[in-house]
Amino acid sequence: MLTAVKKEAKIIYLSIKYALVRELLNKATFFSNIFFMVLNNSAMIVQWIILFSIKDNMGGYNFKQVLLLWGLAAGTYGVAHFFFERSFSLSEQIISGRLDTYIVQPKNILLSAIASDISVPALGDIIFSFIVYFIYGFSIKTFPIYILLCITGGLMMSSISIILNSLSFWFNNSDMIADVGNSLVVNFATYPDGIFSGLTKWLLFTIIPVGFINYIPLKVLINFKLYLLMINIVVCITLIFLAYFIFYKGLRKYSSSNLMSARI
Amino acid sequence: MRKYLFIMKSQIMTNLQYVFNIAFSFIGYLIMLFILFNLWKYLYSDPSQLINGYTMKQMTWYVIITEILWMTLGGRKLCRKISNDVKSGNITYNINKPYNYIGYSLSCHLGDILIKGVIFTILGMVTGFVFLGSFPKLSILSIIVVILTSILATTISILLITSLGLISFFIEDAGPFYWVYSKIILVLGTIFPIEYFPTVLQKILNYSPVYVVSYGPAKLFVDFSWDKAISVIIAQIIYVAITYGICSFIYKKGVKRINVNGG
Repeated sequence: MLTAVKKEAKIIYLSIKYALVRELLNKATFFSNIFFMVLNNSAMIVQWIILFSIKDNMGGYNFKQVLLLWGLAAGTYGVAHFFFERSFSLSEQIISGRLDTYIVQPKNILLSAIASDISVPALGDIIFSFIVYFIYGFSIKTFPIYILLCITGGLMMSSISIILNSLSFWFNNSDMIADVGNSLVVNFATYPDGIFSGLTKWLLFTIIPVGFINYIPLKVLINFKLYLLMINIVVCITLIFLAYFIFYKGLRKYSSSNLMSARI
Repeated sequence: MRKYLFIMKSQIMTNLQYVFNIAFSFIGYLIMLFILFNLWKYLYSDPSQLINGYTMKQMTWYVIITEILWMTLGGRKLCRKISNDVKSGNITYNINKPYNYIGYSLSCHLGDILIKGVIFTILGMVTGFVFLGSFPKLSILSIIVVILTSILATTISILLITSLGLISFFIEDAGPFYWVYSKIILVLGTIFPIEYFPTVLQKILNYSPVYVVSYGPAKLFVDFSWDKAISVIIAQIIYVAITYGICSFIYKKGVKRINVNGG
């Protein structure tokens, strides 16, 4: 079991390594992508400066705490898109019958498929996330937790995307549903939960699980409570298993398009 | 001019095949609107309260209009298309055609987004009415002026994004330039009206693209005045000329650098 996990981890490591090498062929583009993404994320700080000039409390959070929410949102997004970029375009591969390349390999199909590409700008998101964390306030206690929460958030985000994209095994045009679902997660993640109420708040902790990806982690970082961290981890593991189950259930319906393709 | 209208018409005909997809993409707009509606509801403790000269209803309508303009535009797609045309060498297919590339790109994209614009406007108005219960008071003539300024705003946006895409002649990936541009427009023009910013910044923004591509039409929709309408239209005409000039300049400089192998 452990050997199998090690082998899969090595595959992901090599996949990312080669993707990085490929991207680094054009260093100017590589670094400008990262730099501009940091700049792009930083621009949204202006929005919060304006909003806090109107009201000094945003849904129970102060400016630094909302900034930390942005950091978490960027960190989870960065982890999901850097390590598992293809989980966001899985339906495209399913519809066009391009999963063959992964099916014929004696490796985990889902892992190979989602980790077969990286998003360079996502590195900018991760860097931005750490900059924001250091502005919020570095501490030996919270730093490992922050990293852990970015990883679990990224895994949850990818899992949700896999679940939604896997609908393409059964329905046509479900890529649109996946796009909407993914944009729901991203858009809600950058606004504090305190501004929402009633049904919306309930939805954010159920159908659109942004609450578990960003809101609970924010509460953990502001005021550490072990049970909240455990909820985060349990939901993360549940979503991973659910994504795995749905993908493999759908894979039985998959039919190849006899498209010649190669992993480069 | 007729050839550009023909290009536009064929794009409209193509897009008519995907009306359902366009209507479905409205959900993304609705999500954003819903979040911002919640945000403004939270900030305005009393709906009749004035913040920087805007009531809650005016602020919500402002965002509805700016988001319609922004979401209809499809700027990322346009920038990527032009950038890819340059990088892949596809742009050479346009060089020997009897039209101007900038004119082609503008008419093609306008045709591409026209149906989306109409659908988003109708659905946006219905959504606004459901959220707020009333429309801003506008005469038929002022509605026409708002539509005209919206078309001019979209034209300027397309030309600005085209110039960003054409940067690919010099730097391989124009995407990052578009991200920064989009964030500037989003933060400084879409979410907040110019009046929300410090006085010094307001003076700069009044001369910036923000004024003509998002603030102008939205401001006229929520608080129409003829003085404002004339100043917006004049500024937009000047901007159309400037952005077209910039696009042509970059294209002329860049096209000399084309080096295509094979075909």
